[in-house]
Amino acid sequence: MSTNLIQLGDIRKVYTIGGVTIDALAGVSIGIDAQEFVAIMGPSGSGKSTLMHILGCLDSPTTGTYVLKGRDVSGLKSDELASIRNRDMGFVFQAYNLLAQMSALENVMLPLSYANRTVNVGKRRAQELLERVGLKDRMKNRPVELSGGEQQRVAIARSLMMDPSILLADEPTGNLNSIGARQILEILKELHGEGKTIIYVTHDESIGNQAERVIRLKDGLVDAAKDN
Amino acid sequence: MDLRDSYRNATRAILAARMRSFLTMLGIVIGISAVILLLAVGEGSKRDILAQIQGSGSGNLFLTPGAQSSILSGPRATRDTGAKITMDDLKAIETKVTLPIVVSPANTIGIAVKSGTVTMAGSGVFATQTYFEVNNLQIASGRQLMASDVNNRTRNVVIGANVNTTLFPGGSALGKLIRIKGMSFRVVGIAASKGQSFMGNADNSVILPLTVGEKSFGMPHDTITMTTIKSVNPDDSALVARQITDVLTRLHHKTDFSVLDQKSLTTLFSSAMDIFTTLLAAIGALSLLVGGIGIMNIMLVSVTERTREIGIRKALGARERDILTQFLIESSLLSGIGGVLGVLLSVLSSNLIIKRFLPTAVTTSSVILAVGFSIAVGVFFGVYPARKAARLKPVEALRYE
Ligand SMILES: Nc1ncnc2c1ncn2[C@@H]1O[C@H](COP(=O)(O)OP(=O)(O)OP(=O)(O)O)[C@@H](O)[C@H]1O
Ligand SMILES: [Mg+2]
Repeated sequence: MSTNLIQLGDIRKVYTIGGVTIDALAGVSIGIDAQEFVAIMGPSGSGKSTLMHILGCLDSPTTGTYVLKGRDVSGLKSDELASIRNRDMGFVFQAYNLLAQMSALENVMLPLSYANRTVNVGKRRAQELLERVGLKDRMKNRPVELSGGEQQRVAIARSLMMDPSILLADEPTGNLNSIGARQILEILKELHGEGKTIIYVTHDESIGNQAERVIRLKDGLVDAAKDN
Repeated sequence: MDLRDSYRNATRAILAARMRSFLTMLGIVIGISAVILLLAVGEGSKRDILAQIQGSGSGNLFLTPGAQSSILSGPRATRDTGAKITMDDLKAIETKVTLPIVVSPANTIGIAVKSGTVTMAGSGVFATQTYFEVNNLQIASGRQLMASDVNNRTRNVVIGANVNTTLFPGGSALGKLIRIKGMSFRVVGIAASKGQSFMGNADNSVILPLTVGEKSFGMPHDTITMTTIKSVNPDDSALVARQITDVLTRLHHKTDFSVLDQKSLTTLFSSAMDIFTTLLAAIGALSLLVGGIGIMNIMLVSVTERTREIGIRKALGARERDILTQFLIESSLLSGIGGVLGVLLSVLSSNLIIKRFLPTAVTTSSVILAVGFSIAVGVFFGVYPARKAARLKPVEALRYE
């Protein structure tokens, strides 16, 4: 048995639509250690998002095993997966995915609502996180009142709220200009320096190259030749 | 998720779609108002009738043929069993009851009263001279019926206040002739207005000599359907009732009659009125049902619109039950607020408008029932949409555009 933080064994994800089957993932086996800084790259439709969803316990594989921190999570019930997402995973999406009717601060505090124990230091921590991503003065603003880069920083602060060990970011810079993208990447690097395991998807070679390791996908498979 | 948070979220969601929330609530508002108002009208009429029974004199007893169980099913039951009360029965009561009493026999039928070209529907009460004293019926002008009217079968009548104003608008019927069933009767007295009584509206009545009923209206021979007996000393009425029962049982060799005092009459009528009120409320509840379906409809729309929000919440760790509670709180809040508004609306309209036409009484229990019911409607009709939301797959919800 591997001691990796994440161990995927022959993960397949098959979609069947109108009699046509699509192998979004066609047998992916990878291991990722704690505190790694990993970029996932590959052409559109190669299965990057699908892989991220499975890594983040947002989706379950059709077949294959997923061992997270030594625990097989492939067959867990939805409530157990929810609690893994709440405690162990931080998500950053391309489209920010903030709740429009809530302020930045409320958005950052949202994961707390679904935590088992009520963390009474919650508000203080949310404020610190927003300060940390440079949004000290924007806490009361709602998402529409923030720029794309600012929204993505709110999303990062939110992903850190429960202090997860793994941060998953699916094209976090995809909607941002180069300045915004650089800021986000700086934050990710900083978090990596603090010991978080970071996995992000990108199309941009220059951004992907900043990771310590790049996993390339092609047609639902790891492109071994290019794995470094 | 803590409950205060949940309520804040729900309020926010409701306010985010103000107009839609309001229209959805309106269904519940109308349903709840309907339930409360119909209950109020039922309760009001009940209190009204009971007040009239109470108002007929606390010492009064009511003697009818037939055992008590058959009374509410009407005169046919008594005819079928052959039970009847005769004048001889009443004479025996008058002589054998040792306490002071006044006996007033009466038979009532529906009639059409005419004068010239004007016709009105009313009730014909065939009674004796004691009718006025026993029923507290005052004479506004003219005189009461007298023993001689009864004995001589005169065609003299006393009419209710309404009969006078309808047939002789602006004038007085006193001394004039009115026609009933093709026969002419002379008005010798006009009663003071008394309003509705549980025996019928006295103001729409024509009081005729008891003996005329049998002779000219084909009423059954020597049969009295309703006898009111006044115990001169009201405190004695229980004793009087027992004596009447004894006298008649000895004469009839069985208890084929009922002696009701105010209390048993009150019980009888309240239980009948309660059935009536329940029926009314059930009709109101139907509109509440329609309101509930409205809530379900809007919650389904809301779940679809907020699929992405549900996905985000799930990604952040929301369990199925968290999402379920969120939507249930929202739907029950919608219906609960609707219920409270419905209560306000019904109390206002009951007091400001309906009171003018109908007796109404909004009771605390009906208000509690209605609000509780409205919340239950929200939960019931919210369950399906909320489950639908709770069961969404996180990825599918996140991919939803
Ligand atoms: N719910 C679904 N139903 C059917 N097919 C799907 C579904 N989700 C993904 N797919 C298919 O699976 C394949 C992989 O999709 P995925 O979103 O993982 O690609 P990707 O690498 O993230 O692409 P992109 O760079 O464009 O985001 C695609 O062919 C896609 O059409
Ligand atoms: Mg993708």
